[in-house]
Amino acid sequence: MEKASDTKIQPPVSYPTLKKRRKHGKMTSSFTGRLAHLSWVIFFTLPALIPLSIFWVWPMLYSLYISFTDWDYMSPTYNLVGLQNYRNLLGDEAFFQALLNTVYFTAGSVVPTIAGGLLLAMLLHKKIRGGSIYQMILFSPWVTPTVAVSIVWSWIYEPEVGLANWALSLFHLPPLEWTGSMEWAMPAILIVTIWKGVGWAMIFYLGALKKVPEELYESASLDGGSGWKTFRNITLPLISPTTFFLVIIMTVEAIQAYDQIQVLTQGGPAGSTRTILYMYYQSAFEQFNMGQATAVATILVILTAFLSLIQFWTSKRWVHYQ
Amino acid sequence: MYKAKMWTITGARHAALIGFSLLMAFPFLWMALSALKTNEELWNFPEVWLPAIPQWHNFLDAWNSAPFGQYIFNSAFTALVIVLVQTLNSAMIAYAFTHLEFKGKNLLFSLILATYMLPAAATYVPSYIMLADLNMLDSYKGLIFSNAASVFGIFLFRQAFLQIHREVIEAAKIDGASHWRILWKILFPLSKPSFATFGLISFVSMYNNYLWPSLIIKDEKLLLITAGLRQFFVQEGAYGIKWPLVMAASTLAVIPMLLLFIIAQKWFIKGLSDSGVKG
Repeated sequence: MEKASDTKIQPPVSYPTLKKRRKHGKMTSSFTGRLAHLSWVIFFTLPALIPLSIFWVWPMLYSLYISFTDWDYMSPTYNLVGLQNYRNLLGDEAFFQALLNTVYFTAGSVVPTIAGGLLLAMLLHKKIRGGSIYQMILFSPWVTPTVAVSIVWSWIYEPEVGLANWALSLFHLPPLEWTGSMEWAMPAILIVTIWKGVGWAMIFYLGALKKVPEELYESASLDGGSGWKTFRNITLPLISPTTFFLVIIMTVEAIQAYDQIQVLTQGGPAGSTRTILYMYYQSAFEQFNMGQATAVATILVILTAFLSLIQFWTSKRWVHYQ
Repeated sequence: MYKAKMWTITGARHAALIGFSLLMAFPFLWMALSALKTNEELWNFPEVWLPAIPQWHNFLDAWNSAPFGQYIFNSAFTALVIVLVQTLNSAMIAYAFTHLEFKGKNLLFSLILATYMLPAAATYVPSYIMLADLNMLDSYKGLIFSNAASVFGIFLFRQAFLQIHREVIEAAKIDGASHWRILWKILFPLSKPSFATFGLISFVSMYNNYLWPSLIIKDEKLLLITAGLRQFFVQEGAYGIKWPLVMAASTLAVIPMLLLFIIAQKWFIKGLSDSGVKG
């Protein structure tokens, strides 16, 4: 293995020297050759590995350590308190509320975004006049800052003169308090999140649909399968790797959603839109309870890792790889 | 008969697509329209759809009531530097993963991929402390350094490099080209679409980034557009005094990204759909 790969490697020497050396036969297995190779590997990997380890790997471990302390950020000293922070969390009703809200937000944003993305992709998939213009408009929310568009939505949700209530009045529905009500604050945030993400999911599905062989559809229609049947038995299984990919990526993203919550509700009213991440932000950067905050972070990491694992395992059962 | 059926299907598709497109574009239109209204028009119910006289000065007023030009420049500048750094180091490590042999290569790649799944927010407390210790809070050095690596970029470039035929690289090696030359003179030109896609997506996400920059940058002059806009919103919008200005400011923040997207949409869309997963 080593030898086979060694022959491919050339040391970082100039062209003439290399030619000269080549006359003397193999040199890649020599000590200097290996050293040169090693320095190339270090040179190519370190620029990415340094920031990755300083701002990803090390903080994860450090965060775990802080979660066993009672540090408040201001004072230079702290005590090791063992699992106290975790015990506090598990005894805290607000934490379970946040956990529930996170599940609500994740399911409520991921499922409609993916379904909507697929619907849009199905509409756009076959050649249609103006297809690229539709595509552009549908995708455009994704490129804009969540903070800015959430501000616009907060105006749409304005309870007295906002557009959302005007739209409801068209259907003779009573006006809502939207971000001011415990019941409707979360749906309000979900609408913004879905609006922003659905075009993104659509793009991935368009790519996936392109790769479904046309012959499969033809043979299905010869067999007299209905549109729905073809969709269920051919399209859906063949694009399932994309669905799988989107579910994972969007779940991880949903767990980390912050901007729209911060602008629209700040976790309120009465904690009804406070997710785990928002709770983490509040205890770390509003209350400076670092021990508590990092304990929440640990749970966030475990939750994400756990979800990724579940999705990875179940995917083996239902994802159809070509 | 068959033709008539095709026509109705196409018609229905157009109708649905137009409906969805309107729904998606509407918040943007509403934002721009609201920015052109007077406060009285804005607070009228039922809705006043079009301003009687477009209040173009709202944009000027918004522009003058907070340093939005500075904010937008700050965001664009830091995003650009971060993209350049990320592109450089991601391409390099992707080269190492695809064209250099070393022990533990696959393990290292798996580890890096695993971090992609982990929530970045979980690193914020220690990263904040570290930047404070390094005296890099309230500086672009800190912002750039802490965003210097991109797992997405590493993944994307690795995929791109894997698709390039080995013979091309072998030929270059025989000609005595160094790894550095092979990366930038051969792999880079052959995978330009991936570089374009990565550059754009990373630029957009850095420009739109809010939580982390708002934690480490508090200096008024250094604020990014997201934090600056949010501050303006809290000051002016919350009490309903200057909503037209808030809408004008939001429009100013959104327009650069929409323009960039319209100009380069091919790279966004094609790059995303090709780079994702194989169907």
